[in-house]
Amino acid sequence: MNKMIQKTTAYERILHWSVALSCIVLLLTGLGFLYQKELGWLNTISGGVHMAHSIHNWGGIIFLASLILALGKWLPESLKWSREDSEWLGMMGGYLSKEKHPPPQGKINAGQKIATLMFIIFGLLIGVSGVLMWLMPAAKSSMNLFHLLHSISAFVYALLVPTHIYMATAANPGTFRIMTRGDVPLYWAKKKHPKWVKEIGAE
Amino acid sequence: MPNANVKERMSGTDVVKKRKGLMVTPDLCIACRGCQSACKQWNKLPGDKTLNSGEYENPPNLTANLYNQIHFIEKNKDVGIDWLFVRRACMHCGEAGCMDICPAPGAFFRTKEGAVAYDKEKCIGCKLCLAGCPFDVPRFDENDKISKCTLCADRISNGMSTACAKGCPTGAIKYGRRDNLISMAKTAEYKIYGENDLDGLGVMFALKADPKEYNLPKPTYNAGMAVFDSFLRPFTVLGLGAVAAGALFHYLTVGPKDVEPEDESGKGGK
Repeated sequence: MNKMIQKTTAYERILHWSVALSCIVLLLTGLGFLYQKELGWLNTISGGVHMAHSIHNWGGIIFLASLILALGKWLPESLKWSREDSEWLGMMGGYLSKEKHPPPQGKINAGQKIATLMFIIFGLLIGVSGVLMWLMPAAKSSMNLFHLLHSISAFVYALLVPTHIYMATAANPGTFRIMTRGDVPLYWAKKKHPKWVKEIGAE
Repeated sequence: MPNANVKERMSGTDVVKKRKGLMVTPDLCIACRGCQSACKQWNKLPGDKTLNSGEYENPPNLTANLYNQIHFIEKNKDVGIDWLFVRRACMHCGEAGCMDICPAPGAFFRTKEGAVAYDKEKCIGCKLCLAGCPFDVPRFDENDKISKCTLCADRISNGMSTACAKGCPTGAIKYGRRDNLISMAKTAEYKIYGENDLDGLGVMFALKADPKEYNLPKPTYNAGMAVFDSFLRPFTVLGLGAVAAGALFHYLTVGPKDVEPEDESGKGGK
């Protein structure tokens, strides 16, 4: 048996599933009801365009609430930046070739830090603008802004989400376990996050 | 964009012969608000609770239950004030921002008289029409559905005048063929607001003074929102697909980063 070390708590995993599932539901319903001409067939899944709208509104509340709770857990780690992070970024984490290997990383690597920050920033933007356009009394100028922010953030999320899913599953075998069981083998952690292993003294 | 699609925009409307409209002459308005009441009566709209703001204008703006409102403008003079009364309601633009930007097919439609009408069943309550409207007209009911003046589409399609025009005792609101209204106002030496702007407004104003005096905005609509929206729309979906395809390509060429148990250098792979 390999020695395992814990990378996430159950609380973090529940929050992540909540954000992830609501995000996918929001993506499908949002694209379905806003882009009916092109993607109207998506509404069949939700049971019609009006149901898609309701699911989207209430799903947004779940998404925003989980994101705000998760933010407290994940923001501090993603704000730490060191020389190794810059080096990691310089070689795109070594993902562009088999030969290159990035410098040792902390609990999360530079790419994960940037992804987390982008998820938080655009997640808050899309969530808050969504709630405001739903509940604020209609006012022309602000409605313009909310829709613009919502569209831009949706576009960013459309790029971030599939990238994140690929990187955390197929591209890095063994990573998905962090989201289900929360623990990783020590040899895996030593290879991927050596600075973190040293920090917690698990060697 | 403005003129190329006029025929398409006005499809179903014989622009020259059939397009109907209103001519509003603020100089003739006595602020009796008969139009407000007539509109509410015909469209079966309940009253709104309002607060006394110290002014005669009431309610202070359009609501989901008020499609037609008389806006009171007080201008100070040496002695007393000038009172200007302007009708606020949907202007039934030729180039209608709300129709351009609406993502729900069939939620807005143009009647054969040229009015911008809507089907609440098809409205999804996204409120984009408010962002697209140059006149701040769309309001939303308790179910977040669009609620605004339809130029009494149900009356005018049966040859009647609009409720507001019928309720107006002074002729400040006149209903008729749009070209007749324009020539009548020109004969009376009025300047017309909305004759050609946005492919012609369905609701025009006959004015002697500058439109600014009446708080009437420059009748232009910021097509940027609609253009940006239709520009971004494919990119959200294309981006999603491109990233997914890119991920598959990466997996098949560079391949995943496996970590084997025996690889225990512990130096971050250096």
